[in-house]
Amino acid sequence: MVVLKYLFNVLVFPGLLFSALVGLILSGLDRKIVARMQKRIGPPLIQPIYDFFKLLGKETIVPRAASRRTFLYAPVIGLLALVTVSLFIPIFKYTAVSTVADIIVILYLLTIPAVALIMGGAASGSPYAGVGISREMVAIISYELPLVIVLLTIGKQVGMVLNKGAITFSLSQIVSYQAEYGPMITNWRLIPAALALLLIIPIKVGSVPFDIAEAEIEICEGPLVEYSGAPLAIFKLNHAIKMFIMTSLFVTLFLSGKGTGILIVDIILQILLSAVIVVISISTLKAITARLKVEQVLKFFWTYPTALALLSLILVWIGR
Amino acid sequence: MQHFPILSIVTLFLGAFLTVIFGSKNETVRKFIALIASSISLILVLMLIKPIMIEGNIIQYWLGNWRPIHDWAIGIGLEVDALGLFFGIIAVLTIFLSVVFSFKYTKKDSETDKYYVLFLMLSGAVLGLVFTGDLFNMFVMIEIMTFAAVGLTAFRNYQEGALEAAFKYLVLGSIGSSMVLAGTITIYSQVHTLNMAQISALLFNNLTPAALFAFALLLAGFSLKAFVVPFHPAAPDAYMSAPSSVSMAFSGMVNKAGVYAIIRLVYVLFHAMDFKSIQILLIIIGTITMFIGVTMALAQNDFKRLLAFHSISQIGYVITAVGVSTALGLTAGLYHALNHTLFKGLLFLTAGAIFYATGTTDLNKLGGLAKKMPQTAAIFLIGAFSISGLPPFNGFVSKWLVYQATFEANMAPVTIVALLVSVMTLASFIKVAQSIFFGQMPKEFENVKEVPLSMRIPMWIMAILCVITGILPNVVTKYLVSPAVSAALNMGKYIDLMMGSGYAEKILGKPIEIPNIDFTLAGYWNPVAWLVLFGLLLIAITLVAVAGGFNTVSLPTEVDDPKYDVFFSGEASEHSHVKGNDLFWGLKHDLRHYFGFMHDAHSGIINDYALWAIFTTTIFIVYIFLLVP
Repeated sequence: MVVLKYLFNVLVFPGLLFSALVGLILSGLDRKIVARMQKRIGPPLIQPIYDFFKLLGKETIVPRAASRRTFLYAPVIGLLALVTVSLFIPIFKYTAVSTVADIIVILYLLTIPAVALIMGGAASGSPYAGVGISREMVAIISYELPLVIVLLTIGKQVGMVLNKGAITFSLSQIVSYQAEYGPMITNWRLIPAALALLLIIPIKVGSVPFDIAEAEIEICEGPLVEYSGAPLAIFKLNHAIKMFIMTSLFVTLFLSGKGTGILIVDIILQILLSAVIVVISISTLKAITARLKVEQVLKFFWTYPTALALLSLILVWIGR
Repeated sequence: MQHFPILSIVTLFLGAFLTVIFGSKNETVRKFIALIASSISLILVLMLIKPIMIEGNIIQYWLGNWRPIHDWAIGIGLEVDALGLFFGIIAVLTIFLSVVFSFKYTKKDSETDKYYVLFLMLSGAVLGLVFTGDLFNMFVMIEIMTFAAVGLTAFRNYQEGALEAAFKYLVLGSIGSSMVLAGTITIYSQVHTLNMAQISALLFNNLTPAALFAFALLLAGFSLKAFVVPFHPAAPDAYMSAPSSVSMAFSGMVNKAGVYAIIRLVYVLFHAMDFKSIQILLIIIGTITMFIGVTMALAQNDFKRLLAFHSISQIGYVITAVGVSTALGLTAGLYHALNHTLFKGLLFLTAGAIFYATGTTDLNKLGGLAKKMPQTAAIFLIGAFSISGLPPFNGFVSKWLVYQATFEANMAPVTIVALLVSVMTLASFIKVAQSIFFGQMPKEFENVKEVPLSMRIPMWIMAILCVITGILPNVVTKYLVSPAVSAALNMGKYIDLMMGSGYAEKILGKPIEIPNIDFTLAGYWNPVAWLVLFGLLLIAITLVAVAGGFNTVSLPTEVDDPKYDVFFSGEASEHSHVKGNDLFWGLKHDLRHYFGFMHDAHSGIINDYALWAIFTTTIFIVYIFLLVP
């Protein structure tokens, strides 16, 4: 029975099937909204799902220069990490795995898809991928600094209230704090941190203006240049799931509250809020900006989002 | 049982002498002697785990049975508590695996008898250092260790830079040893004993100016042995020029000997961790060390030199965590010390394998080796992910503890730096992966073969240990780390066992406290999650199988069809490999002033480095005089 429940959690809800479906629909939504903002009609909402199945049916070509095993396994490892994260993120009061989920664990698990992309790109043996992984790594270094500060800020705020000053990294405590004291966003001290996280989401999912790693026009999608068929489909799926997970994480960290107590309503609420965040932080930015240069990305993230997050951390620290 | 510690040390020294006598002519004999000596010492130390780690005893041994008379220690004593044994286990493991690796690795070298003699001397000295209970004996062991290390650094003296590296190590090592000696003398003139237990008792609440001066000197000396920034410049050169099996020993145990000495010094000898100022001093030097180490590593173009800077950086984590001085901090520090030995040893062995197979470790010359050396590549990836702290490998657990310990101690800036350093570590290992194992393979490596089995075995052992210590943190903490933490905090017991029970209470004037090492974790990487992950892994493999990952027929790679070529947009393929130097342009550009400054600072002139060492020691002395009451 326990095994069956795990399998259900991993495969269906909130694991593979659920997050894949929601992620693909969210990325369809993103495409639609951007198109409308640019006065185009745009693809149908479920176009990413069509794309995914079409890619699955295509021939998989492994270049001669590639290290086969790393090349083929990299997308799967990335998917693995993402599905694991999706089990840990609470949806209001519901968590799939009754273990202490931890924001540092999630921070690191979210690095794995990026590392998988880098490893896959490196293994393909393409010079475009080489440039791409270098840029992806610079992107990771850029966003990790503000992201860490945002997470520590939330941990500090929750710990101060619930644990008499001892910090907490536990997501379930963060959720129960918000159930008791209202969503995190209603605390004015944390608004800069929320803004910083809104800026981090686009680079984490690799969308314009921060998509230096995949820059289609410059380096032909960088790490993905040699991928085709099923592995490419999985990478595209990873991309979609990452979009859902990052926005869902934002909802859990900042917008979560008491919830309604009815699981199905909570889930729908979570998805709707995630969709709102997708529109705000990914689509709008994508529609109104052009790609930044490599060195501009690092400079941008180490100044504005970092400053915002630090401001929050300091406010929380002195506000005890 | 009583004799195990001394026997494990003596075996190694005896092995060194026997190699001189019998092994100078015959290769097989000296290999045999080295293997026997290292495995006996491994077994003896591992047999100490049960009485010391689990039952909580402390083994004391007076050389020549010179026991203390009228509560005054005269003879040299060995005292093995859980802290010493913890580092002892690290040392013997490194020694054994390194010896096994050396057999094939030194095949192309001449005069390997000298190699084994020096190596066994080094090993014996490190083991002696962590087991001794006598301050002067510690100094002697440090001296043997330093000079054996200098000899081993220059072992491949036909290589460019080997002699220079040895010279740097010699000069800086001598400065460190002199500081340790000066500190020891000062303490002896103060308390008239060299036994560490007795010094600890007599210096309790009795920190005279002379004792503080000695403390600063000893701290600087041991920091130099642990290659803490700014005492580090000898390390990169030495690690690069020494054979990889020796580099592994340097970073696995010689470094750790310095860390052990620092922990022993600040926790037991001087009880200095009660002072906020000493905690802050250690945290500051630790944070600087980890940051400068990792940024310097990003700028390197040689695999082993890069690893050397990472060694420095990871020691920074250990020192920072030790400086936090809560039970959680100490646990984090010791756990990370163990993990560092495992993954850094692994990575140095990979570097050795690369050198053995190709004859170079230059990141700009290599490429595409994963196809030729698949096992080495897999092992390297395990090591790289471990050091970058990706779950489920061991680096994640200990780094996680470090973050938690520092943040709990209200040191948020340190936590942020530590997390950033972790990402930069990942970056520089991605650089290594891209430029050695992936990308285009240069023509001259067409005939490269996988390294022999006797070199792969130690690498696999270390890789498996990396995974085990990552998956079972509770077991490692319970049986290895927590006893060591408890021993470091329980100096009353340390004193009592050496000097006779009741001594500590008599001198300290109060009953011995049993330290409380309970710490609440703010959330923990739960093993239950592993069940989920394994389930996921199963599904993943099925997915790959369905997608044709295992079906070699459906994916022909050797067919001469242009669609299996990599896309170059018309450039000639041999010019297209993205080399180590070409990566991270944006980062290097944005931080060019910092990198320029660091480049100028590491001038390679030994006078500068000696000056840094002396200058920092002066700062230590002034700081300690000003801020320690």
